[in-house]
Amino acid sequence: MKAYLWHRPVYLVITFCALLSLTSCSTSTIIDEYRVTDTHLEIGDNEQIVIMGRRHAGEYETEPDFIDCIGNKIAATGKLSIMPEQQFLDSLYPWFEPRVAPLKLKRMGRILEDPIIAERIKSLGIRYMVWVDGNTETTEKNGAFSCAISPAGGGCFGFASWDKTSIYEAIVWDLNQLDEKGRVKVETKGSSYLLAIGAPIPFIAQVQSDACEGIGSRLKGFFLTDETLSSSPKPGDRTMRDGARRDRTMRDRATRQSHKAKP
Amino acid sequence: MKYMKINGPKNTIQLTLVLAVASVLTACSTNVTVSGDYPSALTKPLPYHVGLVLNDSFTNYTFESDREQNVVMALGKSQSKLFDQIFSDLFSSFSRLQTASIIAGNNVDLVVVPHVEEVQLAMPFETRLNVFEVWLKYNVQVFDSDGEPIADWLMSSYGRTQTRFLKSEEEALNQATTAALRDAGVRLVIGFKRVPEIYEWLKTQASSKSLPKNEGS
Repeated sequence: MKAYLWHRPVYLVITFCALLSLTSCSTSTIIDEYRVTDTHLEIGDNEQIVIMGRRHAGEYETEPDFIDCIGNKIAATGKLSIMPEQQFLDSLYPWFEPRVAPLKLKRMGRILEDPIIAERIKSLGIRYMVWVDGNTETTEKNGAFSCAISPAGGGCFGFASWDKTSIYEAIVWDLNQLDEKGRVKVETKGSSYLLAIGAPIPFIAQVQSDACEGIGSRLKGFFLTDETLSSSPKPGDRTMRDGARRDRTMRDRATRQSHKAKP
Repeated sequence: MKYMKINGPKNTIQLTLVLAVASVLTACSTNVTVSGDYPSALTKPLPYHVGLVLNDSFTNYTFESDREQNVVMALGKSQSKLFDQIFSDLFSSFSRLQTASIIAGNNVDLVVVPHVEEVQLAMPFETRLNVFEVWLKYNVQVFDSDGEPIADWLMSSYGRTQTRFLKSEEEALNQATTAALRDAGVRLVIGFKRVPEIYEWLKTQASSKSLPKNEGS
């Protein structure tokens, strides 16, 4: 009797979907973190952090919604004040527009030599500037599906899959001391699937969202102690903070996390 | 007043055909009125009175492209807004003049007359990229208080956006053009004083008025 059930297409489809949801849509995230000092970065009650996306490259630009996502993650703690990127850009127009935004601290220093700009940054209470560079792109697509509609009804049939990769690096600048306080690099990969038998059933891997979670949680750790952080580090994390040798530690501090995405 | 009466299947077919043809003709057309907001420029104003001449061809400028897809983009009002904003921030005193010849009586030190030289679009169906791109090219003519030409500055700017964040082609083109105009503002604020002829003029004027230092350069 059981064997008979397995021959029914509907059970095959359900089984296939169940297997897909269990085995697919997973994302893997690698986080490299580097800090200059062991201590947490101090920030006053009236001071703010601004998170900015790099948009100077011709072939890609860091997505504004990704910047918003990181800002929301950090602001969600309720202990840090984040200035929205667009508000900062408008307040300091045109000095941080893609064409002229400082790529290095040396250039930032020269911009701050202008008293008008320095005064505006001071009046806004911007203490730290976090530059995020990178993007999310679809690396591979396979399969095909098609949809049709007729007076009797419509439907889709087929199977498609695609892989996405998010690579971002955040660099923290202290505008008071005009130096770099650390970096977080995140690389997230994930595969999504679309199964269409009648109605399309998507299984979407939250690649960019996981990258945002990874980079946001690490950046929170720059400013807040573990006690003050609302979300404690995960058991699998192996972040070390010796902060002495940049080149080596950038490679050594790989923290691997895996998340299952919900369809 | 007479109305067309639709009777029977013959008229219905005709009406359907007319609607179908009309929809085919209008379906491939994109109409955009650029509407962007431009922030005040954070810069130390130059101590001169500038007269800005925005003629009708500039304030009512509409770009039309009839390559594979017909695009009509009205950007005159938006670019006028930008130039007004930038030149009022760039100089300590600012006036809008009707024509470049009306200098006498306005007590202006400089007259600026911008012209649109060229607009280029790149749309996803052309580039196979999921990006809308806009290039703007201006000729900014600068005259002194006697109406003598100082500089013809060819200035270009670029803006782009990505379709994945946007609801329609119109919105995408609006955002790309607004980004290009914002970039034009960057060029004006930072580049205007560095145009060699204008820089020389400012240096000459500095003998009577103190020349401000270059900001952030």
